[in-house]
Amino acid sequence: MDPSEVEFLAEKEMVTIIPNFSLDKVYLIGGELGPFNPGLPVDVPLWLAINLKQRQKCRIVPPEWMDVEKLEVIREQERKEDTFTPIPSPYYMELTKLLLNHASDNIPKADEIRTLVKDTWDTRIAKLRLSADSFVSQQEVHAKLDNLTLMEINTIGTFFTDSLNNLFKIRANLQPRGESTMSQEY
Amino acid sequence: MADTMGGFSDSEDESQELMTPAQLIGKLEEAWLNEKFAPELLENKSEIVECVMEQLNHMEENLQRSKKGDLRATIHRMETERIRYVLSSYLRSRLQKIEKYFPHVLEKEKSRAEGEPSYLSPEEYAFAKEYYANTETFLKNVALKSMPPNLQTVDLGKSVPKPNLDSFVFLRVKERQENILVEPETDEQREYAVDFEEGSQHLIRYRTVAPLVASGAVQLI
Amino acid sequence: MASQEYSPVAAAVGMDENFLSLDDILMSQEKLTSRVETVFPRLGFLEKSSDETDIAVGTKLEMPLWLVKGLHDGKRRIVSVELPKIYREGWRTVFSADPNVVDLQKLGPYYYSLGLQMLHFDSPENLEIAQTLVQTYVGRFRRIMDSSQNAYNEDVSALVEKLDVLERSLFGAGQAGLNGFQCWEKGHASRITASSLVKNYRKRKFADLEV
Repeated sequence: MDPSEVEFLAEKEMVTIIPNFSLDKVYLIGGELGPFNPGLPVDVPLWLAINLKQRQKCRIVPPEWMDVEKLEVIREQERKEDTFTPIPSPYYMELTKLLLNHASDNIPKADEIRTLVKDTWDTRIAKLRLSADSFVSQQEVHAKLDNLTLMEINTIGTFFTDSLNNLFKIRANLQPRGESTMSQEY
Repeated sequence: MADTMGGFSDSEDESQELMTPAQLIGKLEEAWLNEKFAPELLENKSEIVECVMEQLNHMEENLQRSKKGDLRATIHRMETERIRYVLSSYLRSRLQKIEKYFPHVLEKEKSRAEGEPSYLSPEEYAFAKEYYANTETFLKNVALKSMPPNLQTVDLGKSVPKPNLDSFVFLRVKERQENILVEPETDEQREYAVDFEEGSQHLIRYRTVAPLVASGAVQLI
Repeated sequence: MASQEYSPVAAAVGMDENFLSLDDILMSQEKLTSRVETVFPRLGFLEKSSDETDIAVGTKLEMPLWLVKGLHDGKRRIVSVELPKIYREGWRTVFSADPNVVDLQKLGPYYYSLGLQMLHFDSPENLEIAQTLVQTYVGRFRRIMDSSQNAYNEDVSALVEKLDVLERSLFGAGQAGLNGFQCWEKGHASRITASSLVKNYRKRKFADLEV
């Protein structure tokens, strides 16, 4: 899957905004939103939050975890543990990128947050490669991947499944087989 | 615009469970991701596609009456465009698979027992048949007609590779499953069983979980 | 979304070949040394070094894999096949010592696919050949993963130089994942670009006009 499609899925996450306009409830196909009142926080999907922000119709309240102190704890935890630690949002990478690119004026210490999240990402990707390598060298058949996010899986996913599929095909010939089935009779 | 919410419940098929439009969109997104990641063509979800189309058309009709620059209409338009993207991406990934596996897709359709639901929508079936015929004609015109008489046919069923059901897939569990048998890969390994906890994620061979994908118990990611 | 205008048929990587796979077609052109097991009457002209009318039993000939497979199958054994060096015991020892040092492009370049094809010829070493293929693949995996996941925006020709065809396509998949992510992170992914087919089409049209 293309990363922009993972981002597309992340855009459904709800975030809190503080609008500067009034609007009655909006009945979307996917559910109702609002009502919107100036100065009163309201939850909307990220795709709408960013659009409203671009038109200067709201301020975005950053998610609770998007905070330097909390992210420092997460980064240290991630570096200390061998396994993947639970992450505060399944779309932490996408939310960080989208919010920092479009609403950095609403997020205190935006640059530090960007670095912390990227560090955490890098640590996790390094772990992911380590586990991919041991999965292949042990010739495993099943792995549990809790706490991995869609963007993480997606970055290495095709490469990894291609590798395993090739390995499976090569290994399929270790057992002598019965009749030969030619793909095309000549 | 509250009236758009009612458009769905008066479906022709009474046995069908009632779904809210939000649940319907959720179902479409599930079908989209499953189709994107499954190695084989899955059963078509024409009911969902039709209902979503109905919702979109209804909404777009209403939007035509709205004034330019109306914030409410803009929000609705953004939403319909997002849903349209998922819908067309879903249909497109099915067409890509039909192009890739057309002889096998048609073979499966032919061997379908009476009463069993078709994997293809009527439009997809027409597309697959036409694609098959065009490929055959193309090969004939370009090369086969110049070959010696005994070499003028190509068995497309044998020359187009089948979907690889042993492909590895990533999945998230939606309904808890017990005792999934994992076949061994090497001689030193033994067959073993795993439990799929709700919300857990796994990497496993598609063949092992294909029935669970079909029933909706797991979601491919 | 990265749309593919044309999705080529992949190599089968096994004892079967994919009829419509370009990689498999090229692989089946690989030359093998075979020994003639029955007289080839009046085919002597095929062998430039001799004046005989027939090709005698025991003559060694270089033939492409597709022809050898036709002359050596379940029904007939018109020729027997000499195992290429790279699959023989000497090389197998090298692979088990350190698979990473071997230049599979030079010695292959269809090391895995051709190796699996060799299993058709009932060599007593079939099991060892198949085992070595698996071990080599597993042993070289880490390096391919790391190099394909670390090289961003740089010349990768040195990294793929010693990889066989299958490994190169794997390297390509790793690069595609990495590049996709990096583009997304930098915000390039949000720009919609024309499909390369459309671009080429326009170029062709302009070129035609200039004539």
